[in-house]
Amino acid sequence: MQLIIRKVSRILQNHNNLTAVYALVVIIVAAIGLISIAAGEITFEKDQLYPKTINPDSPLNPYDRGGSPFVPADIKAQYPGNFPAIGYITGYLSPFATALIKISPYFGTTIVAHPGGILDEILYATRGLDTIVETSILFVAFTTAMFLFRRDEE
Amino acid sequence: MYEAMTASVTASMPVSESAYGFTQTDIEGQALFSLPFGDIVNFLTPYTAVLFVFALTFTIIALISKPERQVDTVMGGDAYYTKDISRETLRFQRFMAIACGLATMGGIMAGDVFNFTLFTAFIGITNIGIVAAVKNKHILDNAFEYGLLAMIGTLPLFVGAALVLATTGTLSMWILFTPEVAVPLFAKLLLVIGVIAEGMAPVFVAKAEITRAPGAPYILMVHVSSLLIFLRVIEIVISM
Amino acid sequence: MIAAISAFAATATAITTSATGTAGTLTSLTVGEIELFGLSNFTIGLVGAIICIFISFYALMREKDDLHRLLLTDLIEVIALIAIALLGTDLAEALILPGLVVGVAELTAMSQIYIVKEKLVREPESYLDIEVMHTAPAIIAVGMLIYGIILSGFTGGAVAGLGMLFYFACKGTEEKTEILEKVSGYAWVMWVVAFIVFMTLPAYWFFALMLAGTGILAKVAIKISILGTMRKNDGSGGRRSMGGNGNV
Repeated sequence: MQLIIRKVSRILQNHNNLTAVYALVVIIVAAIGLISIAAGEITFEKDQLYPKTINPDSPLNPYDRGGSPFVPADIKAQYPGNFPAIGYITGYLSPFATALIKISPYFGTTIVAHPGGILDEILYATRGLDTIVETSILFVAFTTAMFLFRRDEE
Repeated sequence: MYEAMTASVTASMPVSESAYGFTQTDIEGQALFSLPFGDIVNFLTPYTAVLFVFALTFTIIALISKPERQVDTVMGGDAYYTKDISRETLRFQRFMAIACGLATMGGIMAGDVFNFTLFTAFIGITNIGIVAAVKNKHILDNAFEYGLLAMIGTLPLFVGAALVLATTGTLSMWILFTPEVAVPLFAKLLLVIGVIAEGMAPVFVAKAEITRAPGAPYILMVHVSSLLIFLRVIEIVISM
Repeated sequence: MIAAISAFAATATAITTSATGTAGTLTSLTVGEIELFGLSNFTIGLVGAIICIFISFYALMREKDDLHRLLLTDLIEVIALIAIALLGTDLAEALILPGLVVGVAELTAMSQIYIVKEKLVREPESYLDIEVMHTAPAIIAVGMLIYGIILSGFTGGAVAGLGMLFYFACKGTEEKTEILEKVSGYAWVMWVVAFIVFMTLPAYWFFALMLAGTGILAKVAIKISILGTMRKNDGSGGRRSMGGNGNV
């Protein structure tokens, strides 16, 4: 017994084993996850927010969510009341996007990244706080990297 | 389902309570106020308000205080020297400590599971920054180990949040904290071990090396933030 | 250099993942409904993700080399994105982006810590020097920059930034990166202003949308392109001389 404790504490006291110990913990939790899936505890809730619908004939495929410029689309958000202009961003198409639609039916992904579209609606407006945190994380990480880089240059 | 749920909860509550429907949980009590940002509705309860005040206090301390200067005495003589912290390092560490305090406050106020995980990741990366600024081989080794832990900790965090969304159809704590919604144990466990890796609160194995680093109170921000965010995730997991 | 390459690799792998995630939901529109052996397709995907977790974390447990462990963490972050993509909703697609950014950001900081920790500050004696690094940078950078500006927002920033990263890494630069960083800071403020407009004056959503798209584009593109300048390049297109030994 004492030997086991001694062996375990020898592993734990070395900080180089920190990730290995943590990896073991994650593997154990993942095993619990497999068991709970087998027990049928984890079931998919079919009533999801912002569901995806696909209309292969639309030139905006796979991001056609209805609406048109300055006419709001119907969006299933968590709290639609918190953002009164909901649906307008999804419906918006810039003149450039309108031109792209006429050229080819295969530019849906380019158009949704262009200003307007469902992803902009989620990323900028209804879940905009996530994007604030995300860009702040990027900012802080680059500050750290540049600080270390500059200090080395001197 | 969630719409009906919100409606039913709101109906059972006094109208003045809130539009989102809350939630008398076991350990945190009634929400004091709510701060809506679209789908993400932040809130404070008596319990989280206490944590928030703690985080605010330590952020202000980091903002106004000067760093400690460690004194080393030379063995067998009267000589001693103070470790000097360069202006650049000081400014960088202070910036990181304040960012860490703000991230902690954000995580404490978070009313959305995914937003909470993002703030936790934010705390992780500011902690790495504070520690990595110290120019010492041992401490850098430690910062690297911590950084690896913080990086792999994002997996349990994000998978946990994704499972919450998949099994309940919502991320809002206002709905998740109601007794009608059940979150699987697996998702809760993932969230907790994710915070352990990012906040590093119970992982004190390698902390000895870091407390040796010069630069208090900025180094202390690592401990405070991890402790507070750990208290918060326990509250979330119990309430869910 | 390592930072730049690994961040590039991370972005590339993660973009591929999110793309395949989208493709997966295209073919199976009804997540959680299609059944195979009595299991829904969500459950099957989740079991697959957990198997990936087993493999990658077992690898991490066995690996001792620091650099290899750093690369393994990238593998692990991709699994997290896969788990989010399993949802197959628009919300999941929007959540992948923050998840991806956290991974790239942490990898950048960690690579730099690794370099400092291992004292890899000495200039390498020879750099990668292949023909494409002399001929292609301008055209590729311009193409990706234009496409990035069209895409706008975060995706556009990543595309334009990668183009500029390739250009700076091949051609070198004498630019003061502090100025670039300052611009990127103002771009971040632009995005925060846009967010405040969204939340307080929703009627002006159009103005805020344009502000946010431009702000995030500029911020991300500049941040990524700075990585390209971190390779201490003298502008000779990858060719350099060390200690007066002449061109290698």
